Amino acid sequence: MVAAAEPGISAQQPKEKVDPIRWLKENLFSTWYNVILTALGLYIIYLVAAGLYQWGIADAVWVAETRRECLDKNPNGACWAGVFAWFEGFIYGRYPLDERWRINFGVIVLVLWMVPLWLPRVQGKIGIAASVVAFYPFFAGYLFMGGDKSLFLQVMVSIAIVSFIGVIVHAVIGVTSGGSLARTLLRLTGVSGAGDKLQRNLLIIAALAAVAIAFMAQAQWEVPTVSWVRWGGLFLTLVISGIGITTALPAGIVLALGRRSQLPVIRVLCTTFIEVFRSVPLITILFMATTMFPLFLPEGFTLNKLVQVIVAVCLFAACYMAEIVRGGLQAIPKGQYEAAHAMGLGYWRMMGFIIMPQALKFMIPNIVGNLIGLLKDTTLVTIIGLFDILNMIQAASQDVPWRGLHKEPMFVGALIFFIICFSMSKYSQHLERKLNTDHR
Amino acid sequence: MATIDKAPSTGGGGLAFIHDERFRSVFYQLVTGVVVAYVAWYLFDNTTRNLESRGMSSGFDFIWLTAGFDTDFTLIDYSAGHTYGRVFVVGMLNTLFVSLIAIVLATVLGFFMGIMRLSSNWLVSKMASAYVEILRNTPLLMQILFWYLGIFSLLPRPKQSLDMFGVGVSFLNNRGFYNPSPIFGEMMWATFVAIVVALVAAFTVRKWAKTRQAATGQQFPAVWAGLAIFIVLPSLVFLVTGSPMTWDVPSLQGFNFQGGARVPPAFLALLVALVIYHSAYIGESVRAGIQSVHRGQTEAAFSLGLRPGKTLSLVVIPQAMRAIIPPLISIWMNVVKNSSLAVAIGYPDVVALFMQTSLNQSGYAIEIVALTMLFYMTVSLTISGLLNIYNRRVQLRER
Amino acid sequence: MKLVKFAAAFAAAAGMLAVGTTGASAESTLEIVKKRDILRCQVGKPSPGFYNLDAQGNWYGSDVAVCQAIAAAVLGDKNKLEIQSVSTQARFTAMANGESDVLSRTTTWTLLRDTQLGLDFTAINFYDGQGFMVPKGSGIKSALELKGATVCVLTGTTTELNLADYNRKNNLKIQAVTFEDNNVRDDTYLQGGCDAITNDKSGLASSKAKFANPGEHVILPETISKEPLGPVVRQNDSQWMDIVKWTVYALINAEELGINSKNVDEMRKNPPNPSVGRMLGAEGNLEKGLGLSKDWAYNVIKQVGNYGEVYEAYMGGGKLGIGIDRAGSPNALWTQGGLQYSPPFR
Repeated sequence: MVAAAEPGISAQQPKEKVDPIRWLKENLFSTWYNVILTALGLYIIYLVAAGLYQWGIADAVWVAETRRECLDKNPNGACWAGVFAWFEGFIYGRYPLDERWRINFGVIVLVLWMVPLWLPRVQGKIGIAASVVAFYPFFAGYLFMGGDKSLFLQVMVSIAIVSFIGVIVHAVIGVTSGGSLARTLLRLTGVSGAGDKLQRNLLIIAALAAVAIAFMAQAQWEVPTVSWVRWGGLFLTLVISGIGITTALPAGIVLALGRRSQLPVIRVLCTTFIEVFRSVPLITILFMATTMFPLFLPEGFTLNKLVQVIVAVCLFAACYMAEIVRGGLQAIPKGQYEAAHAMGLGYWRMMGFIIMPQALKFMIPNIVGNLIGLLKDTTLVTIIGLFDILNMIQAASQDVPWRGLHKEPMFVGALIFFIICFSMSKYSQHLERKLNTDHR
Repeated sequence: MATIDKAPSTGGGGLAFIHDERFRSVFYQLVTGVVVAYVAWYLFDNTTRNLESRGMSSGFDFIWLTAGFDTDFTLIDYSAGHTYGRVFVVGMLNTLFVSLIAIVLATVLGFFMGIMRLSSNWLVSKMASAYVEILRNTPLLMQILFWYLGIFSLLPRPKQSLDMFGVGVSFLNNRGFYNPSPIFGEMMWATFVAIVVALVAAFTVRKWAKTRQAATGQQFPAVWAGLAIFIVLPSLVFLVTGSPMTWDVPSLQGFNFQGGARVPPAFLALLVALVIYHSAYIGESVRAGIQSVHRGQTEAAFSLGLRPGKTLSLVVIPQAMRAIIPPLISIWMNVVKNSSLAVAIGYPDVVALFMQTSLNQSGYAIEIVALTMLFYMTVSLTISGLLNIYNRRVQLRER
Repeated sequence: MKLVKFAAAFAAAAGMLAVGTTGASAESTLEIVKKRDILRCQVGKPSPGFYNLDAQGNWYGSDVAVCQAIAAAVLGDKNKLEIQSVSTQARFTAMANGESDVLSRTTTWTLLRDTQLGLDFTAINFYDGQGFMVPKGSGIKSALELKGATVCVLTGTTTELNLADYNRKNNLKIQAVTFEDNNVRDDTYLQGGCDAITNDKSGLASSKAKFANPGEHVILPETISKEPLGPVVRQNDSQWMDIVKWTVYALINAEELGINSKNVDEMRKNPPNPSVGRMLGAEGNLEKGLGLSKDWAYNVIKQVGNYGEVYEAYMGGGKLGIGIDRAGSPNALWTQGGLQYSPPFR
């Protein structure tokens, strides 16, 4: 035991024992301007913390029926009672009370589906990621919308269920034994020695059978319709930005390649498209979507407003992504292209295997910045009347019992955004370090 | 595989031209062009038909109608009796005014923060990174409201105004920041001419100094010389022509200060919010840009005996600019676009004045949205056009 | 190229999924609503008294009550209703596009809006007027004392125009500061950022009621504008216009005749007089011209209540009301000196 502990201790040796006074002197008071900066910083921190404590905790009212009651108890403090009353509204929007489990369930499925991506022993991560992107939207779409299922949707939902269960079982096998679902299946049926073709066919048959069983099972399953009008809160914010984010990357890559294309027509079209959408504020694009899209369509057809907004957000996000991709491509030295050509790779192979993987690494900080920006920009859908989290916060301040309650919900909203965006940003930095193969 | 794809039509098969790259490129372009043209025509056709079938009045005649509402802050003469067209101009100028100042300040602050974040000093770098993280991860709208309600609304009322420089000419209160405004006399044109002449002279000196340094290696303090010319010449002319300028000093009358030049608190709040928010983004790009410069460059500069400051300004930043410029274009454009959030705190920018108030009063939704978009497009394309030219100049030229 | 094609196909498919038929101009609004079996009624962003969301996500308010009344009249059930919350900028285009069947939000009836936007105003369900509110401590007794003052105002309403007119007429040199959100405007006012707020008096009363010390603020006596508010429909559909108009009148007439949601069953069974019987469909066939069922007015009163009940619940002293006195205001019945007046049901 002692011997085993030894290396650990010796590994920490070079770090030295931290002497707090010396550390302070070195890092906070090394020069005269550092002393001033430290004093100023501490004073600002004190001001903010003391103000927040007084307003948010010391003078706050935690239990009340209306805002008037809060004001009667203490007019200077925060009225958290109102935030508690409205909190579920901020998260779920106007989604019917009895159906809110569907949102929770959908989120849990998504998390479980994606967890294997972070487990080190699981194989085939690209396949898992692809299955999430390809099938989860159908499952979630039905779960959230409900109502009748078309045959196509039924098939897609069945495939989604099968791939979800498959991924989970695969992950469990991977973690426990380091194997994969396919190999385990083949071993269990005793055909692992057979030829490749036979093995593949067997697996396909197994998958089809599973889908057929799932199809039978899901036919009974039906949930009531929830119109998009009732979608709202953080849920709606995440749906809009989630769809925007997943379409932005592929669409952005296509646009960026188009902009760098050698074919003049495609280049001009892509450049125009990108520049037009990047040059106007999202507010005006959303306005255009709601006032002009209906005019573009043939008479008698209207897109519902949520779709209009999603289309607008996707176009907007794709154009920003395209510029980020272009920036990444610019950073790749010409030699890489020439080397790929010299090896006889065609355009798509060169891009897919040589250029993009390198460029994507450069782009990670900007891509995540873009995603965070998109999430925050989604709050602008408030302006055209969708009840996303910001609009729910504003609605709380107009609700007669809680009239005028707007600072507290706004504070909570800012906190929610900060938590989500900050964790995304931290994760991207982690990824950046992990992928940094540059030996400097 | 690759060889089959690439093979020119040697076999002489009937379909071999499909593999000809030239043919394929023409074909792709043709298909794309036709599809896009068809979609454009289809949308246009629908739109005209839809506009016809609805009883909504349309057209751009409304810009000559009287607007009939007042606003708080204008750079040109405006009152409720003016037209919607003038409202549009007022709004555009207000947007440009706040965005231009914000762009300049945000860029300066952003470069500073970016360099701070890479500082070897623990406190400085931690404070800079906390600054960047907090600002980047909360919506700008919330930050604008914070600055407005939390800081600038809490300034004293007009009667207790802060006398800014202690000499009774500039006042800060919760109605705005009041400054004396200049009133130009007849001979003032001479001073303006002198300023232009001085500018030209300063640039000539700088150019001469550069050529001389390139030729002989001798250095000349061009910056100081230029500055001296710029200050001395116009002041001389100003004094000689008899100081043809007086000041309109604001004074307290009734509810508010009258006279002088005033910017409303909403402007200050918006400006501070835009500067601070975007400086965080610029700081990030600058950090990434500097980190993209290979460490060997710094080491080489050190081994040549350059000091850290010179290394940064002569070796690292010029190379980092290549990676900084593309995101910087986006951020500058974002400043202009994000200034549209001004509507939340009552600063009369183009969106607030034109796309909100004018649209509501007149109902010409399509025309007004289109004009507003056109304005933003013009501004953004100008910015990105200028920066693209610069970008082309600093891009790495390989072989 | 494959990717592009795939994207195009995907977009087309998505478009197909999302497209639904509505508002073809050949069909009348009544037919469309009946076929859809749900009424699409447009309101704005939540505004106290008129349309509000509660914490469970349900709409309430006096304009929402009008929507419910129309749904009850046409479809027999006040819950066959989809409330659309549309921004002020998009409100008229959403009507023109056929997205909404009726607009029931605080929209002032003006000549320009009635004639140039392809819309028709129907009946007035609330008479409002613009006023000023100042801190009591300022000692101001009349709006004419506001010379040189800074006044906070909401953007996107006729309020801004009225203020400018009043300013010009009385040469007050008022500085207008505009806001999008009434809470930000009110906070600015409370912190002294402006000397007065101007808004419709219903809005002023509602703002005042939410302040920490309502007693420290006074609403000045001047009413500087007329703000008649009521539901709006698309032009050239007189049947639908009649339905909306007479639904509002049914609310008013019921109050005048003493019918309310509690006694309406009794009244229908044994009408005390012929007017009540005609209105509730116990005699005559007034419903015929409207194209509705015989019990349309009964459904309205039974499910929504009469005008007085709606006012008390959302504008007056009810639990969700914003506390505006009705007696002596234009919103009292004409029999009590107000302006609320319904043409006869016969």
